[in-house]
Amino acid sequence: MPVGPFGIDPFIWAPLRLVIAVGLALFLVLNGALLQIYLERKIQAIIQDRLGPYHVGPFGLLQTFADALKLISKEDVRAAATDGWFFVAAPALVFCPMLASWAVLPFAQDIVGTNLNIGLLYLTTLGSMTVLGIVIAGWASNNKYALVGGLRSAGQLISYEIPQILALVSVALVVGSLSMIDITRSQTGPFVNVLILPFSFLIYFIAALAETNRTPFDLPEAESELVAGWLTEYSGMRWGTMLALSEYGNVTVVCAIITTLWFGGWQGPGVDAIPLLGVLWFTLKVYGFIVLMMWIRATLPRLRIDQLMSFCWKGLIPMALVNIVAVATLALAFPNSLVPIAIANWALVVVFVAGIPFVQRRRLKTLRARARASAAPAVHAAS
Amino acid sequence: MTFDFVEPVVFALLSIGVIAGGVAVVMLNRITAAALLMAFTFLCMAGMFVLLGAETIAAFQVLIYVGAITVLILYGVMFTKFSDGPRALFFQKQTPIAAVFVAAVAVPIVIVGTVSFTSAPPRPGGGDLPALATSVFTDFAFPFEIASVLLLAAMVGAIVLTRRDDPEEAAMRRRR
Repeated sequence: MPVGPFGIDPFIWAPLRLVIAVGLALFLVLNGALLQIYLERKIQAIIQDRLGPYHVGPFGLLQTFADALKLISKEDVRAAATDGWFFVAAPALVFCPMLASWAVLPFAQDIVGTNLNIGLLYLTTLGSMTVLGIVIAGWASNNKYALVGGLRSAGQLISYEIPQILALVSVALVVGSLSMIDITRSQTGPFVNVLILPFSFLIYFIAALAETNRTPFDLPEAESELVAGWLTEYSGMRWGTMLALSEYGNVTVVCAIITTLWFGGWQGPGVDAIPLLGVLWFTLKVYGFIVLMMWIRATLPRLRIDQLMSFCWKGLIPMALVNIVAVATLALAFPNSLVPIAIANWALVVVFVAGIPFVQRRRLKTLRARARASAAPAVHAAS
Repeated sequence: MTFDFVEPVVFALLSIGVIAGGVAVVMLNRITAAALLMAFTFLCMAGMFVLLGAETIAAFQVLIYVGAITVLILYGVMFTKFSDGPRALFFQKQTPIAAVFVAAVAVPIVIVGTVSFTSAPPRPGGGDLPALATSVFTDFAFPFEIASVLLLAAMVGAIVLTRRDDPEEAAMRRRR
């Protein structure tokens, strides 16, 4: 009889492994969402000079558990005019792609669902499927706020997918693989990819904020203008699945991609001696970016839809294309050295960051001139 | 004991999904349901590509058809006129003619497909990415470029057709 890992028959081990992996992913998604909601509340409270939750449990740690229990025990409310099956299917359509992307996240050396050779493409694909669920949710709610939210998210998510994928392409060009494991392995030592490709990291991070509907890009559910956007008609655990689980799960996935691609994934001091330490490094890095996203949320106001679109199509996409051309040319010209790519990329970062105020000032000037030109005849007619 | 029986079973399920989804897209009255079922059909097609060992094509199928094109179709549906009442099937009167045309297209495809595609599929278990990239950029570079030019022309055409006038000019014209 063949003996597999832990002395278990491989025939039993194969399905058992699947069950363990799915159970573990669900466990991490559920607890990650609870932890991140708590972090979100506490961090925003600290930044806004408040206390945040502190009544339930020590430091208010059990507050989100109480909220989750409340959501589960809530009555399942459905407005009469909602669109039957679509309304029920939408939370699943948002949740399933997010859960499926956990299959390729490399937590440590051998702790990964599967080493897919197109891992990066797989993650992008699943990220693009979330839009479908959001649009369906907005449509099925039969509510004008939800519909506007759904339409906004369709426009926003499809647009920001392009710079996101273009930023990933430059990493694939440098590393030469789409497998999450190979990408992590290529960054041994202190020279992680962010030192070589800081500009693609910047583009990806901005686009990822938009892809996960985080402030300043949370237009699909803008509370102050659209009630709750595409989530308006949802309540109870349907709302919990969509907002809490899927959004925070997506944030975790995106931060895991950033960690793997630009910050060396599980690698860190002492990993060679104790491979399990990789899980700790990976989680710490991922939560570092999650906290950064929360910090941005507490700092920046929401953009307008036209600003959002023009920033993507006139700013991010051209710069991402320039980045790809530069990286590809330099990778062909200097196949043995990454230094020219790094120099070019840092130069692009400087150009981008320094260019924003310049472009903004010119835009404001034209806008003011236009406003003055259109106001002048009206004043003339009044006088 | 092996898992050989799994592949035909999965293939059968996917085929049923593709055919049933396609039939439902054509037959259903509700256009949103048709759009969603089209996404389902695309997903089943992606599953078939995975069975053939072409994971990259499957990923692009989902990325482009499910993630972008279906969403754009839904986007279009939301802007069109929508009535709740039951309507007559769109293809009611043309059914016999449509059946003839479908047969005229489908029968040669099936015959050609069964006769000519006898080569073995690429080796399963991944690794189709380098082969795909090489063939796109060597053997099929010219069709690839033609397709990109076509897409560019379509994009420019769409922009020209839907271009709004400068808001300032429009305001001036309204005032006059």
